[in-house]
Amino acid sequence: MSIEKTEELILNMGPQHPSMHGLFRMVVHLAGETVTNIEPKIGYLHRGMEKLAESRTYSQFIPYTDRLDYLASPHNNWAYVQTVEKLMGVEIPERAEYLRVIFGELARIASHQVCIASTALDMAGWSAWSYAFRDRERICDMYEMTAGSRLTVNIMRIGGMSAEPPEEFWPALQSFLDDTPEMLEEYYGIFFGNEIAMGRLKNVGILTKEMAENLSITGPVLRASGVDYDVRKAEPYSIYDRFDFDVPVRTGCDSYDRTIIRMDEIVESIKIIKQAVRDIPGGPIMAKVPKVIKPPVGEVYHRVENPKGELGFYIVSDGTTKPTRLRIRPATFINLQMLPIVAKGWKIQDVVAIFATLDAVLGEVDK
Amino acid sequence: MFGKGLLQGLGITFKRMVGPNITEFYPEEKPNLPTRVRSSMGLERDKCISCNMCAMACPNSVIKLTSEKNEANKKVLKTYHMDVGRCLFCGMCAEVCPTKALKVTQEFENAIYEPEDMQWDMIKRAERKGKVE
Repeated sequence: MSIEKTEELILNMGPQHPSMHGLFRMVVHLAGETVTNIEPKIGYLHRGMEKLAESRTYSQFIPYTDRLDYLASPHNNWAYVQTVEKLMGVEIPERAEYLRVIFGELARIASHQVCIASTALDMAGWSAWSYAFRDRERICDMYEMTAGSRLTVNIMRIGGMSAEPPEEFWPALQSFLDDTPEMLEEYYGIFFGNEIAMGRLKNVGILTKEMAENLSITGPVLRASGVDYDVRKAEPYSIYDRFDFDVPVRTGCDSYDRTIIRMDEIVESIKIIKQAVRDIPGGPIMAKVPKVIKPPVGEVYHRVENPKGELGFYIVSDGTTKPTRLRIRPATFINLQMLPIVAKGWKIQDVVAIFATLDAVLGEVDK
Repeated sequence: MFGKGLLQGLGITFKRMVGPNITEFYPEEKPNLPTRVRSSMGLERDKCISCNMCAMACPNSVIKLTSEKNEANKKVLKTYHMDVGRCLFCGMCAEVCPTKALKVTQEFENAIYEPEDMQWDMIKRAERKGKVE
């Protein structure tokens, strides 16, 4: 008996879809339930960040960087202000560096909690979602009491930090650090140890080491494919060379490892924060920078390890108060190119799993 | 054993179910926000020296202010207008204010019905607020 081929079905997922993390649309070509091709359609959240930067002064662009990867906004601030500081040759005070590390690592934890939560939600795990979000609220509270905002934090300035954390910040941070082992145990018990989650994620969406390297994948997605690469170790920026921490690497190459590696990263971030809290010196939090920022003529590229991968800023300065050109190297935009390649041949429900484990944030993809 | 993980997860949810509540009953109970929260802006007219620093710090040209000179040849604020539809609530204006006349405030219930309600006359708002209190 010969099997007759049916017509190819084209399914439009997104831009408004419960499993799309933001405004992302993919046109899925199906043969039955098997994916034959995916065409990602991006740009629904395009705000023209790079062009906006050209009409804003160097300081005025900091709040815009919050809106790139809005789940880890201190990291975007950090990458941008460090790029400008590198261009100007500004040395920032020790205390500001430690505060940046503390807030950066808190942002990493918060971002990974959202990834764990949204992956669970995409696998129909409603209660697991609420557990990770409950704990993320505590980090948002810490942002709020220090900088005044929960999501678009705008906490860093060229030359230091915007504000000194208030007195109640330190006990809140300490109690958060003390509670993390129990939190992680709960995430494991409610989601990662669950047989349904394992069935949906294990051995699904294999991204081999060669594929990951060839596609310039960075961040936890790359490290879950067995590549030991982290900008914090490969090219230590800020004061990361002073801390003792490991870069978690997993070799499963599948969706399960791409998600659970974020649990390992939370453990490492906790380690870094504990060391930073122990060693933080007193002193000022702002370097002496001129009120009107005019970097010298030149160009600079700087990169940091964002929770989702390598985030880079490239700035060309002509010596005026506004950049001539600003280019953003977003992590998830480049990671997203693996989706059509990896998802090919999998069933439609696996596409949801593969996309969730990428942890794409469309603010950063569309810029 | 298959199903062990499922039971473990159920155990966690049960443990939390009998534990204390962590949600807030928002409209009935108002949250007590920290004093640094940037939800709204407030202006103290008497403190303002019309230096225009806030308008220059703003990334989106939200603030427009005019001033006039009084008998002592000192600048006095005449109008202060904010187009909050364009506002990022980044707080840069309040940060640069040399006399702390412009401040971030914690009134977060800013929902409005008409687009023109996004045009804030800061002097009138300050006067209105003074009357209510």
